[in-house]
Amino acid sequence: MKTNFLKGLGAKLKTWEFALLMILVAEFVVFGAVNPKFLALNSLFSSVNNYISICIISLFVTFVMITGGIDIQASSIVGLTSIVIGVSWSDLGLNIWVCIILAIVVAAVCGAISGYFVAFCNVQPMVVTLGGSFLYSGIALLISTLSSTPAYMGIGGFPGKTAEGIYTSFRLLGKWKLFDMIPIQLLIYFGLVVICYILLHKSKYGRKVFLVGINRNTAELSGINSRLIIMSTYILTGIGAAIAGILLTANVDSAKSDLGSTFTLSIITAVVLGGTLSTGGKGSIIGTALASLVICIMRFGLPICFGVSTQNLDLPMGIMLVVIIAGRAITSRLKLSSGSVRKGRLVQKTH
Amino acid sequence: MKLKKMMGRTRWISSLVFLVALFLIVGSINSSFLTAESIISCLNNSVVYMLLAVGIAFVILCGEIDVSIGATMGLAAAMAGTMAQNGQSLGVMIVYALVLGIAVGVFNGIGVAILGIPSLIFTLGAGGILRGIVYLYSGGRTVENFAGSFTSLNNTTVFSGITWFFTLAFVIVIAVYFILTYTKRGKYFIAVGDNINGAILVGLPAKQTKIVAYIISGCFAAFAGIIFASKYGQVNIVAGSGYEMSAIAACVIGGISLTGGLGDVIGAMIGAVIMASITKILVFVGLSSDYNNTITGVMLITIVVVDALTQRRATESARRKRLAARSAPGASPQPLAEEVAI
Repeated sequence: MKTNFLKGLGAKLKTWEFALLMILVAEFVVFGAVNPKFLALNSLFSSVNNYISICIISLFVTFVMITGGIDIQASSIVGLTSIVIGVSWSDLGLNIWVCIILAIVVAAVCGAISGYFVAFCNVQPMVVTLGGSFLYSGIALLISTLSSTPAYMGIGGFPGKTAEGIYTSFRLLGKWKLFDMIPIQLLIYFGLVVICYILLHKSKYGRKVFLVGINRNTAELSGINSRLIIMSTYILTGIGAAIAGILLTANVDSAKSDLGSTFTLSIITAVVLGGTLSTGGKGSIIGTALASLVICIMRFGLPICFGVSTQNLDLPMGIMLVVIIAGRAITSRLKLSSGSVRKGRLVQKTH
Repeated sequence: MKLKKMMGRTRWISSLVFLVALFLIVGSINSSFLTAESIISCLNNSVVYMLLAVGIAFVILCGEIDVSIGATMGLAAAMAGTMAQNGQSLGVMIVYALVLGIAVGVFNGIGVAILGIPSLIFTLGAGGILRGIVYLYSGGRTVENFAGSFTSLNNTTVFSGITWFFTLAFVIVIAVYFILTYTKRGKYFIAVGDNINGAILVGLPAKQTKIVAYIISGCFAAFAGIIFASKYGQVNIVAGSGYEMSAIAACVIGGISLTGGLGDVIGAMIGAVIMASITKILVFVGLSSDYNNTITGVMLITIVVVDALTQRRATESARRKRLAARSAPGASPQPLAEEVAI
């Protein structure tokens, strides 16, 4: 029993998730040593808004990638939901909660349209979501021209801030803090991690997603409607992007059509660093969650600890991505060439 | 029938038909669009997209993707701008652009072909690194104040309004087209993209071909950077971001399949002209430029969906023919030959 446990522990220590956890710890140690201010959680929490969207969306993009697809339109859906909330609230005069539901529905429909083309028409996901990213950001821009507020200003003045500066109703989604410290975005994020974990790793649906990614024909033969499964992952991503858009809008009190337009690369980086295979069939929510935290801590820590300009975070991110991916490729190659070649080949085939 | 067959074989013809139809439709809405002047300005505006799309076409034909070209272009543009400030000649810029393109291409090629990393991921990282180098190179400032002989190059015309840059790009694309379709080495790209295992089995240098494709893509992006700098007269640190997506869209519109092995560079060129013309077309149709992205998105999705559906129909009709031939008494294996042709 005990050896079994130790074996299990040993196997766990070798997993990619554990390596990510170690990188995360190393980041805290290094950044904390260079600048003790970094460890004051308040500053970390106060900038949570800059990064939480990437974390949330990458969770859902993991589903898409496991089915063998890719989603580069999510970041344009963030802006679309934001502007839908803004215009339907300020110009149509709807209740703010109705606006939120409307935004989520719009985002889900956007995901469904792209998902339909990918799943039912067999178009390459990269092209469809590329077209989707043009289309949805374009629609967001068009919707913003319907508003009486000039597009560059952003629609502001959402309900929920009293004269005394206390946040209520909608703005709570952006400003509320547990114990006056932990921001609501973080709580929602952890909630979503749990939900996604259960959905992907503990539910029937998750098994189907994996099976579709590993071998779509087998999945189809064993009675899974692979088309619906693939389409549903794109809908999920749309909803994830909508949640991110709502949180962003509530926090900055400004609905803009180009919100989130720069997220795409970071999202894909997070999912891939998390160990998800871009060819499908392999991946984990915990991996994605850890990887997106690694990225966010890096983006937060480098400017305040090493004085890297916030405009130039692409360089360290790019180096990190290339080094980690290349390192993994080289080590897996070394493993293949030494010893268990046959086993390695089998592994490669199944992946 | 013959025409249909020809359209099936050379995919760029259908995109040319699309381009002509687009221009005719816009012309029927606003007849002043169909003047030589406005069409030539559409062509002149498309040079940057054209070079990017033709470069990335090689990578896409190999079945890979390169999203670092936007950053490569930005870096080349910043370098060209700085050199223009120092009064260096175009020749020096081209040499530096070539060096940059080869370096980026080798880097990407090693990562993708030798290490076997998925190309989207690796070039994403490479693009991030290049973007960071742009920042370091220009010190976070916009490179500007290099007007003069360099920026006037963009307006130098050869004949009847067509610029030197367009002529050069056009000649290069045509030359590349002939190299790609009529030489042995050129066909390697399509062979590798169509069926990489088959290509390796018949002895083609697949890895080498992919590296060369990335080098070509990098060099074309760097040349596009020089023209970008000359055209806009200033280069900020995010110059060229988003262009990689437009270049991929241009390739797709031009009939190049992202799975590789299908399409040609003429298609990429035509797709680039379409992409570059959208802004101008909107003006003539009387819509604001806010419609730009929407139109691009609708066009892109429509084209790929129609393409996928027609392909599926072709394979299904082939299968039906085969079945019919099998069930018919005394059927000869003749239909098989037809199936191969499709």
